[in-house]
Amino acid sequence: MSIDYALVQAINTLFYASILFLIASGLSLIYGIMRILNLAHGSFYMLGAYISYTAAMLWIGPTPAGFVAGFVLSLAFLAAVGALTERILIRPLYSKPSELQLLLTFALMIALDDVVKMIWGPEYKSFTKLPWGYMSIGHYSVPIYMLVVIASSTIIGLLLWWFFAKTTIGKQMRAAAYNPEIAAALGMNTDLLFVSAFALGSALSGFAGAMASPILTAYPGMGTDAIVLSFAVIVIGGMGSILGSVVGALIAAIARTVMVIVYPLLEVALIYIVMIIVLLVKPTGLFGKEIVERR
Amino acid sequence: MQRRIRVSTWIIDLYSVIGVIALLSVLPLFISSYYTRLVAVGILYGIAATGFNILFGYTGLLSFGHAMFWGLGGYIIAIGLIKLGLSFPLSVLLSLTILVLVALGAGYISLRHTEIYFAMLTLALSQLAYAIMLKWRSLTGGDEGLYGIPRPLGTITHYYYLILLVSLITLIVVWLVLRSPIGLAFQTIRDNPGRAETIGYNVRRLRLLSFLISGIVTGIAGIMYVPLEGAITPEALYWTFSAEIVFMALLGGTRAFLGPFIGGIVYVFIRDYAMDITEYWLFVMGVILAILVYILPDGVVGTIYARIARLQRLKR
Repeated sequence: MSIDYALVQAINTLFYASILFLIASGLSLIYGIMRILNLAHGSFYMLGAYISYTAAMLWIGPTPAGFVAGFVLSLAFLAAVGALTERILIRPLYSKPSELQLLLTFALMIALDDVVKMIWGPEYKSFTKLPWGYMSIGHYSVPIYMLVVIASSTIIGLLLWWFFAKTTIGKQMRAAAYNPEIAAALGMNTDLLFVSAFALGSALSGFAGAMASPILTAYPGMGTDAIVLSFAVIVIGGMGSILGSVVGALIAAIARTVMVIVYPLLEVALIYIVMIIVLLVKPTGLFGKEIVERR
Repeated sequence: MQRRIRVSTWIIDLYSVIGVIALLSVLPLFISSYYTRLVAVGILYGIAATGFNILFGYTGLLSFGHAMFWGLGGYIIAIGLIKLGLSFPLSVLLSLTILVLVALGAGYISLRHTEIYFAMLTLALSQLAYAIMLKWRSLTGGDEGLYGIPRPLGTITHYYYLILLVSLITLIVVWLVLRSPIGLAFQTIRDNPGRAETIGYNVRRLRLLSFLISGIVTGIAGIMYVPLEGAITPEALYWTFSAEIVFMALLGGTRAFLGPFIGGIVYVFIRDYAMDITEYWLFVMGVILAILVYILPDGVVGTIYARIARLQRLKR
């Protein structure tokens, strides 16, 4: 195995990890703050993918401007979808058993698969062209686009860390996650905090879809694959932890790359084996703290 | 208060089982073979959801991987029938044996935790089973699955009655187990695991027993389903089907014995209706299911039971 080949595989792996991190950190954030396992989170990823396709391929054309417009649009659109989902659909269920929230997001998930088919049709949507050209590593050529995705995801990871560690809203969100009643008693607007956290988490997922689709294409059902992988990522890393999502995503991506090269039969299975081992050895994940169930 | 109502509904539960099965047994005389097949699917979904509910409604553990039992039961009987050339009873026996082993293994692993971690472990285990069935091409046919699986007893109607008989026996056995001291211990564990431990129950072992029974019942439904359809694909083990099982159980009502069974039948008919009116049936189904979450949070049967209980209180 040459150095060039290893480098190409490393970039592929980092690209894949970047996408997984963006989806999983959104899921983890929503679970960490509201204890909601949003099964429609993967569908938000899918919506992001289609919106970026629409902007880059149908409206503006596959220029850098088209792609950037796609990223911004999906970020904004999914933030709005997330906020509306929390405010209109999920909030009435807070007082009910938590299974009902799970069921509602499941219903949303299957409905969104068809919404995508109604608007864009059932076939795979491929991007014919990537912006920013290619660079050559030995006799391999790698899209610069992948490096842009890796860089963006890194920046977003740092921003998230800064947001939760340093800003007032971020700290308030963590406080509300720990104990919503006391947070409300101290004068925090927990309704607003919850809606913002849901919007932020959903926007991250939409952004992940927008960044992934130029390489991985957009298709109905991509959300159901994405959500279960994100579960694996946040379980491995630790639910509610940003650093956990980074490490979980890296482990998932490395496991996939290694298996594709070494033993493709285990490509799908390995991540779940890792997930089971982590749950048995350290159920809170590598970087998670004990999750207190709310009643 | 809720407990007292619950205990007094045991007999109602048994009568409802007998009534519903009696109703289902005359149904094929009045409906086409298309609908007979559909009802048969509904019954098997209902049994799968009933199995799930032993663990969820009666023992307080949310499994997010019950498709594993359904799918493995189905795959193994298919393999027995067409790959190994075994007879139908032998294939069923083989399938049941492996299901017991898998349920014990999966239960032993996932019951090291409860609540969300338990749900995640069952999800991971079932996805692992999915990945294995997807990739073990020589045995399972990979993503195309196995097809051309023969149906015992020839016609749909005959096989329908076999399914009904198996379902009746399964439901009654589950009913007997749940109202036996063991079943009551499950419910004690559901309501207060700490106290159950204190009064001397071996909580871990009882949970494993519940997991085993639950898995086998869902597995039996999967075993019976595959000859009905004549085919099985890896989708039978995919996590979305686990979620559908959860949905059926809650749709019918997890606090009523027959709730999940009725939930399975209702689910199949909602799906058939949605597929009938539009090619975008998933959308219609999503909307209907979402509405049901708001208007029937206790499920169909749960709501009926609550109504009856209220009427009885008014009479007194």
